[in-house]
Amino acid sequence: MVVRPYNEELKYLEKISDCCWRIKKEFQPNMKVEGCFYVNSRLERLMLEELKNSCRPGAVGGFLPGVKQIANVAALPGIVGRSIGLPDIHSGYGFAIGNMAAFDMNDPTSIVSPGGVGFDINCGVRLLRTNLFEKDVQPVKEQLAQSLFDHIPVGVGSKGIIPMNAHDLEEALEMGMDWSLREGYVWAEDKEHCEEYGRMLNADPSKVSLRAKKRGLPQLGTLGAGNHYAEIQIVDEIYDKWSASKMGIEEKGQVCVMIHSGSRGFGHQVATDALVQMEKAMKRDQIETNDRQLACARINSQEGQDYLKAMAAAANFAWVNRSSMTFLTRQAFAKMFTTTPDDLDMHVIYDVSHNIAKVENHIVNGREKQLLVHRKGSTRAFPPHHPLIPVDYQLTGQPVLVGGTMGTCSYVLTGTEKGMNETFGSTCHGAGRALSRAKSRRNLDYKDVLEKLEEMGIAIRVASPKLVMEEAPESYKDVTDVVDTCHIAGISKKCIKLRPIAVIKG
Amino acid sequence: MNVSTTVGHNEDNNNKFVNKLLGFSVADLDHTADVQLHAWGSSLQEAFEQCGMAMFGYMTDLDYVSIEHCFQLEAKGDDIEGLLFHFLDELLFLFSAEPFLICKKLEITKFDLENYEIECRCYGEPFEIGKHPQGTEVKAITYSAMQIVQEPERSHYEVFVIIDI
Repeated sequence: MVVRPYNEELKYLEKISDCCWRIKKEFQPNMKVEGCFYVNSRLERLMLEELKNSCRPGAVGGFLPGVKQIANVAALPGIVGRSIGLPDIHSGYGFAIGNMAAFDMNDPTSIVSPGGVGFDINCGVRLLRTNLFEKDVQPVKEQLAQSLFDHIPVGVGSKGIIPMNAHDLEEALEMGMDWSLREGYVWAEDKEHCEEYGRMLNADPSKVSLRAKKRGLPQLGTLGAGNHYAEIQIVDEIYDKWSASKMGIEEKGQVCVMIHSGSRGFGHQVATDALVQMEKAMKRDQIETNDRQLACARINSQEGQDYLKAMAAAANFAWVNRSSMTFLTRQAFAKMFTTTPDDLDMHVIYDVSHNIAKVENHIVNGREKQLLVHRKGSTRAFPPHHPLIPVDYQLTGQPVLVGGTMGTCSYVLTGTEKGMNETFGSTCHGAGRALSRAKSRRNLDYKDVLEKLEEMGIAIRVASPKLVMEEAPESYKDVTDVVDTCHIAGISKKCIKLRPIAVIKG
Repeated sequence: MNVSTTVGHNEDNNNKFVNKLLGFSVADLDHTADVQLHAWGSSLQEAFEQCGMAMFGYMTDLDYVSIEHCFQLEAKGDDIEGLLFHFLDELLFLFSAEPFLICKKLEITKFDLENYEIECRCYGEPFEIGKHPQGTEVKAITYSAMQIVQEPERSHYEVFVIIDI
């Protein structure tokens, strides 16, 4: 790694618009394309501070600063366009979280990298709407939160309650939400409102280790821990009335449920297994990277193909997982209001994947190309009229669900043509951590955090209360800054703001 | 390699989980997505055992765990880092699937640094919500900034591993 004083480093960065910076090719060795990142003034400070800290002599630690990581990704074989950092970017394993990069499928040297997807494959967000309003839910908020907490298994060591055996799992891995539909856990129209219709067709469970399946089986239908949550949210603001109405959101005060979860231990193990395999493939194919954590394999190699098929199985697992929790959520609401989920109009507005690699067609330098698009902590945001978005959203653009953190707002955005051109149809995914877990724990007390949430009128049910400091709003970037940056940059458009009134987490 | 810097950030941290008696600590780096396990012992074998315990200590409070069962585990690697990686990955697997074991004590019975093989007895009980407090979920073991410090002349061995949570 090139180590220079901070002032020197800054020479390789250039602000090209109000909220976009360019990373020049000489910033890191072997950069094949430039990098860029989107930030407003507040996020810019965080970004540059991180770089500055890493330039201090004697700095040691696990991960490089986000901007270095963007640049190292720009040095991977086969990358096209730019390596792009979204406003919620923060450093992660190999790729920064909030980094997207696209690789040319027709270039035989192009790579696929599990670090560009993340350990939690197809981690994503699903939003359900209801026809309830805040006044209906406020009086029973605590009971409803408790009921959701009782219905959805959360936290470390929790086990799923959806009956599953090894044979069912094989089918679920292959079929994704088609399995959930066949088993009666979801509605047919739910599938319409998912990326890939809730099923990646190239999934091949035979490419998945027994170990991953054993980790996955007991965890299907569980929320997990860390930053995963289920929230009851209220529509707080509607910026785009017409698009919102296409999503079934008519008025402020309407109640929604957001579920943020992924592929659990199954996906974690698929990623771990692939990283081990790819270390070997890299030596064999002499793939050079700037950072050992950027383990990768050629897309066309055995390891590359195996990973894509196993990753697709993990993606299907995640959809079945979110679908199972959708089922449990509908049950909890139906019981509380002694009616049916149908009568509560509990439709899936949309379901996004923010840790995934997908084959997509994009225009690069005026020509259509087939690309493998890695989005790690980044959400697909396709514009209106794109063939891969459902009929209901053909005129609005794809809904993009941006989850906040415990106690803060969440947003629904829509995809734009500008985003399609500038960022391969990608935008932010959430708040993005600002403080390390260590700092959060040093500076915050869990009782204060819980009290503050209570003051804000938010009911909370959490499996490990002592860890809530790590997920406290203070530990994250301001999600409003993140979303505003995307909106101003034009890579997606604000549609709805949601505020939580109850949080369930691990 | 400056080991003391890595953990130095956290000395004032009241919440830091240090078990002097057992010989491990769980220290968070000043980074945004990771936790570093730091374990030590008078032999490398002991440092490995303690590193495993550090991971379990992050998942629950070990005071609530009793020894009910013993499971035998084997791990292999291509080099010493690989051995540590796979040893921890096996332990994580023991917790994540049948028998869902949370360990109170680890005893490495075979520690072969020529073929990089470990056999270990794992003592503990199946994780049970209600009995064992829920801590943090470990997603994966990583090679990121892994350090294995060996100072045989003063019988001092240390390992640092970053886990993804």
